[in-house]
Amino acid sequence: MTRRLHGACHCGAIRVMMECSTTPEKLQLRACQCGFCRRHGGLLTSDPDGQLHIEGTPGSIHRYRFGQMQADYIFCNECGAYIGAVADTDVGTIGFVNVRGVDFDAFHDRVGEKMNFEGETIAERQARRKARWSPAVLVELRQN
Amino acid sequence: MSDGPLTWRSGGCHCGAVRFEAALPARVEAQSCNCSMCAKTGFVHIIVPESRFRITRGAERLAEYTFNTGVAKHLFCPACGVKGFYRPRSNPDGWSVNARCLDTTEGLELVVEAFDGQNWEANAHSLSHLSKEPA
Repeated sequence: MTRRLHGACHCGAIRVMMECSTTPEKLQLRACQCGFCRRHGGLLTSDPDGQLHIEGTPGSIHRYRFGQMQADYIFCNECGAYIGAVADTDVGTIGFVNVRGVDFDAFHDRVGEKMNFEGETIAERQARRKARWSPAVLVELRQN
Repeated sequence: MSDGPLTWRSGGCHCGAVRFEAALPARVEAQSCNCSMCAKTGFVHIIVPESRFRITRGAERLAEYTFNTGVAKHLFCPACGVKGFYRPRSNPDGWSVNARCLDTTEGLELVVEAFDGQNWEANAHSLSHLSKEPA
């Protein structure tokens, strides 16, 4: 069963569409405990058998890298909302979404599972992400 | 805000460009708000008077976002997006500090209460005392 979830940041400059291979209740919801996600209150989900589409108006998408520098963490330049992250891998671009930042209704009553990925090597981290993150497309529109 | 001796506690964004300090008692009431803005940033509010807050780094760099009445000044680090504090519409004479951005909550008893910001007009008055300077 395919289901599509739609959300956006507060100002509406960045919109997200997530295609799920199952019902959202069955997707893992992660309260990542890294310093970045803790400060943003991140609640993260992804679906390796689904699809994630992130689209921003010109100039709206800010990419931030830290730690192992293997992924781009995305927030809105206009309103600051933390949208999610994308990474380029040998199987293409993959990513996750912060359900809080784009206000996905389907997760409103859920509590995130606390996650700590400290101590992973780059190879371990890449393998985990490839197994869990969604195939993703990130598009920043151009000014015409 | 509860009574008792105050301790200056530091905090900041993720990349280190923005740093702040707030004077807090050992037991602090905080609000988790369900309005459209707070729901998207996960902000956990510790509201303090002006004299109990200071920006120690990066004030000139802060990005500002306003909407609706424009009274609240939503501030965030332009490099990492973290919103460590802002000028709330409920308490424009004070500051709201994000409990998630304190360096440590060790020795701090944080009592988080739900605030119904979806019905802001009906509820905002219950917060106004939090930014009053001590007499």
